[in-house]
Amino acid sequence: MNYRDDLNALYSRRAMIEGVLGLVGVAALCDLATVRATAAEARSSTKLRFFSANEATTIDALVAQIIPTDETPGAREMGVARFIDSALAGFLSPLAVTFRTGLTDFETNCRSHHAGSDGFATLSADQQIIWLHQIEHTPFFESLQQLTVLAALTMPQYGGNRNGLGWQLIGFQDLHAFSPPYGYYDRDYPGFSAQEPAL
Amino acid sequence: MTGQRYRNSTVVDFVVVGSGASGGVIARELAVAGFSTVVLEQGSRLTPADFEHDELKYWFQAGITNDPARSPQTFRSDPSAIATPTGIRPALWYARTVGGSSIHFTANYWRFHEIDFVERSRLGPIAGTGFEDWPITYAELEPYYTKVEWDIGVSGLAGASPFDPPRTRPYPMPPLPVKSSGVLLERGARKLGLHPFPAPMAINSQPHRGRPACIHCGFCHGFACEAQAKSSTLFNMIPEAEATGRCEIRANSYVVRIDTDAKGRATGVVYLDVHGREHFQKARAVVVSANGAETPRLLLASESARYPDGLANSSGLIGKYLMFNYSSRVDAIFEHELNEFKSVQVTRVVHDFYDADPRRGFYGGGGIDARIGPQPAVWAQRLSADGPAWGAAFKARLREFPRSMVVLCHGTSLPVATNAVSLDPTLKDAWGRPAIRVTYKDHPDDLANARFLQDRGVEIMEAAGAQRVARAPIREQNFSMHLLGTCRMGNDARTSVIDRYHRTHDVPNLFLCDGSSLVTSGRGQPTMTIQALAFRAAYHIARFARAGEI
Repeated sequence: MNYRDDLNALYSRRAMIEGVLGLVGVAALCDLATVRATAAEARSSTKLRFFSANEATTIDALVAQIIPTDETPGAREMGVARFIDSALAGFLSPLAVTFRTGLTDFETNCRSHHAGSDGFATLSADQQIIWLHQIEHTPFFESLQQLTVLAALTMPQYGGNRNGLGWQLIGFQDLHAFSPPYGYYDRDYPGFSAQEPAL
Repeated sequence: MTGQRYRNSTVVDFVVVGSGASGGVIARELAVAGFSTVVLEQGSRLTPADFEHDELKYWFQAGITNDPARSPQTFRSDPSAIATPTGIRPALWYARTVGGSSIHFTANYWRFHEIDFVERSRLGPIAGTGFEDWPITYAELEPYYTKVEWDIGVSGLAGASPFDPPRTRPYPMPPLPVKSSGVLLERGARKLGLHPFPAPMAINSQPHRGRPACIHCGFCHGFACEAQAKSSTLFNMIPEAEATGRCEIRANSYVVRIDTDAKGRATGVVYLDVHGREHFQKARAVVVSANGAETPRLLLASESARYPDGLANSSGLIGKYLMFNYSSRVDAIFEHELNEFKSVQVTRVVHDFYDADPRRGFYGGGGIDARIGPQPAVWAQRLSADGPAWGAAFKARLREFPRSMVVLCHGTSLPVATNAVSLDPTLKDAWGRPAIRVTYKDHPDDLANARFLQDRGVEIMEAAGAQRVARAPIREQNFSMHLLGTCRMGNDARTSVIDRYHRTHDVPNLFLCDGSSLVTSGRGQPTMTIQALAFRAAYHIARFARAGEI
């Protein structure tokens, strides 16, 4: 077995480790009962559990720029903000303070660079994109990006990836039993024939 | 769960610490040979009904792996520095459940080659390393490789690789159906004059010994197999051991100490049950198969007046010569859909660069395989490392998932004495036991080899007609699930921990067998060799027991 390199790459995202998960009380992280409870609540409730209404508006605008809605659904339709809200109220709660600080700083910074604006969510789409290019390498945004992916592509039971829309976007089939041919290139494979080594 | 139950006060023939790839084999072999055996496993016992295709649980939390909250670790790359806690991501990653890491492995099962056992003699010494020949040869291990293939269950095609070592029997099952990634690796490699072959996998391609064929769900990689088609010891060795009526698998039993008597012989082990209550299991002999991290940890923690540096550590080498293997990665995008999320991880392998070649200017060799991407969330999180991570461009990249594949290049790690598992001087686990401290810095040759193999991977993908090919950065490792070399085997008690039969040089009734036994790293995919060693060790341990030589 060998998935070290995959994990290395995954965890090499410093933002994910130090900005998000590194600060999490791991006991809480590993408490799956909490995760499940969080997910169940997320499904059954429309009430925000962590974000204020204003914060939720900002997060919603941000994740909509990470996976935008075009002719196909984006982060908004996938329930990404809802996943993040319930995760921060639940299994990621030890991160909550850091995340909120990052979000507050993001908004403050954004307003100070956009005189008279009422926050990131009120900027035009073009303004939002220009601003995100300025701050895309901050720990807060990198953390949010990683959480967005997690929300969009993990099991819908956790609150994101609503109706499997994230999987649908990337072309993953949630079937769990397949038979060949699997793809284009193995369709007309003639069968294996051994060769002699070129010595 | 039909096994025998033994009392702690009963002196059983053997206590085996660990129920994974090695412990499961040893328990089955000793029980079949007629010995009363108790297996103590840290983790709990799961059934296929418990297994889920849940990335959040298995990849982002401690689904079935060692829980960093309760079992923290520390890491340093500089042996003179103070190691720092690794937090949520342990440095050494392994499953903590009955069946051990054979539950969640990818199941790549090539045999080591003849050269792996005698490489020091062929190439000469390498300064600053403990590069050594093994005390056994490939020929001595061959019957046990065959036993793994048939008893554990490996699919493959004998004679397909011109580089394969000699074998006495074909594989019991044909290779698994080729995937698009395998076809493309084969196409590119053959254009370059290389010799790709069907990957040997410990996954059933057809029903074998009471277990069904693979259903090609795609969730081998870090997940447990609910179909029981993956050849985890939980599905074969463990129930067969229990069926003898002479083996008890005792889950949730965390061994914290091996005790010895006035003569220095092991008397049994101290372990904590699920409630943290301490027990002592008496035994005539102890076999530790707890993996390359937990085995040295247990021995170091079993210090006493007689064994002040840890049990069986007169050589001072317990925990040292830790080896990870290096796997460099190539990402490739093709024009049409591959749908790598379907079926097993690997279907084609290239061994043309297996042997080291001094003309390259460094020591090292490896195997190159084509594989899955991996599954959605892990795959997508990686994207942010090397391109647009948000916006329309990111969304377009997300849509490339079905057209993506990975080439993984598995290489050697040299045994370096300062690379080690030791006991952290301050950090404790949830049971108050010293935490694992990892010291690791890749040898420069290991990194040079990783780059060399990665370049070959890139060439293969380009020859296969990839639209885009990218190299994952090669950096010093601070994470591994290959835990090798920390109680090495050898003929000289001054330079090794166990002898050629896995008996510790210092304690006659204490045996060690797992990744820690390896003298060199091979080229990745060590579990096959660990299990061949386990079958061989069990054969000899049983022989000694029958002859009254333990």
